[in-house]
Amino acid sequence: MIEVDRLTKRYGKTVAVDDLSFNVTPGRITGFLGPNGAGKTTTLKAVLALIHPTSGTTRVLGTHYRELDDPARKVGAVLETSRYHPGRSGRNHLRVLAAQAGIPRQRVEEVLDLVAMKEPAKRRVGGYSLGMRQRLGLAAALLGEPQLLILDEPANGLDPAGIRWLRDLLRSVAHEGRTILVSSHVLAEIEQIADEVVIIHRGKFVAQSTTAELAARAAAGVRVRSPEADRLRELLFGQGMSAIVLEDGALGVTDGTPERVGELAAANNIVLHELVAERATLEEAFLELTAGETTE
Amino acid sequence: MRLLYSELLKIRTAPRTTLGLVFGLLLLTGLGSASTAYDAESSPFAPQTASSDVIRVISIAPVFTLLLGILVVTWEYRHGTITQTFLAAPRRERVIGAKDAVSFVGGAVLALVALAVALLVASFWISLDLERGQWELAGRMVFAAAVWGVLGAGLGALMQSQVGAIVTAFVWFLVAEPLLGLTIEALTDAAISDYFPGSVIDRLQGSTTETIETGPGGIPTESEYAYGLWAAALLAAGYAAVFAVLGLVSALQRDVP
Repeated sequence: MIEVDRLTKRYGKTVAVDDLSFNVTPGRITGFLGPNGAGKTTTLKAVLALIHPTSGTTRVLGTHYRELDDPARKVGAVLETSRYHPGRSGRNHLRVLAAQAGIPRQRVEEVLDLVAMKEPAKRRVGGYSLGMRQRLGLAAALLGEPQLLILDEPANGLDPAGIRWLRDLLRSVAHEGRTILVSSHVLAEIEQIADEVVIIHRGKFVAQSTTAELAARAAAGVRVRSPEADRLRELLFGQGMSAIVLEDGALGVTDGTPERVGELAAANNIVLHELVAERATLEEAFLELTAGETTE
Repeated sequence: MRLLYSELLKIRTAPRTTLGLVFGLLLLTGLGSASTAYDAESSPFAPQTASSDVIRVISIAPVFTLLLGILVVTWEYRHGTITQTFLAAPRRERVIGAKDAVSFVGGAVLALVALAVALLVASFWISLDLERGQWELAGRMVFAAAVWGVLGAGLGALMQSQVGAIVTAFVWFLVAEPLLGLTIEALTDAAISDYFPGSVIDRLQGSTTETIETGPGGIPTESEYAYGLWAAALLAAGYAAVFAVLGLVSALQRDVP
């Protein structure tokens, strides 16, 4: 569906994307992960022919985006920079896009329904909240019923209910056999829906794996709080687990499971006030994944 | 075709700016026409001269169509909608081509509406005597307005910055061109400044011998020109074409921010 081959993009001396290669397989949801500034948006823009790569190639549906006939009916995209003419109403914004792509006007009403924006659609976009803008962006991407969706940080600006709504929407879209590439800097946002993830850091490829594998890696930490923290720590070391003292006095245990920590504490009559399997944020998973590469 | 339609829709659905431009021009032509006609009512000159004067009121139209052309391109960059436009139509030359075309047609329509208003308003005071000469003059006015729409679109695509393009246009026509013209004339005695864009439009909007006070430069031009009307039309179209090409190259080469 999407092939990125040795893509490099430099802005002056800054290398935004550095020799990046990966493929997106059809019919799945692929998460495109990386911390802010990792080069995600630059990569997506290159894929969508909005910027000229310094070197390397990108292909969408087997060809360069510029060569696609009727791209709006094949690829729907929401970029982080999706912005609107503030004086135009949401509905008119979609109508302009529909006209551009030769899509019948009633489809505008359908997508407005789909993103639950029927009511605000008559108002000027200038007065929209960030969440409403995101919804409008999604509506625009879905306008042409594309087989491929490319979404750049679609959850930004959405409240928790909005994020759940987004997940449900993306799931149902994927269910129809469409392919979705969705970028995010927060693993938690997409780990529940993505089948696969591509991780980049500082413009470089880090890993491509299934979400299950990544989640297993990221969930390696255990947080434990005890009045006898020091004794527990000694015992953990004795069992080959490393534990660090966190800011609030709790222990952060790596290479252990809650079961092992809990059993160890019980066997030694140590009172526990808290025992949680920590879901590491992506940034933490990164530190692990990029350890050895990062020199700061 | 699709792109042309969507460009028109874009202009139509951004009502404040569009209405501001249209009403600004119509108000000015209405007032101008009224005062011209009011003066002419008691004037001993032939009605044809008065009619020409009324038509000449719309010589401010190119300023507005230039703005329209600049806006048609730069408001997409300013508001970031250019991203979506290029996503829907990744062959950017078609987008820019559609914008040039819409600026040309839109400029002509704007000038025609202004002409209609000017004639209508003037007809309250004087009876207009429109002969072949007047219609030709009107045609040149409309052509100048349409061509300057394309110039604006080209300049807009070249600079991408809305404020930058507008400031550049006004500084050139109001300050740089007259100053440069005076300097060159003082130094070389050559009439090169006659070939500058503002003078070309003046020429196109003027008649062969009369002293006129028009053009985006607003500078009275008393000297006779070194070239004829057809040459002026070609030169004006040439300027527009050069900027259209420069704008296209800029749009194709530069990354979308």
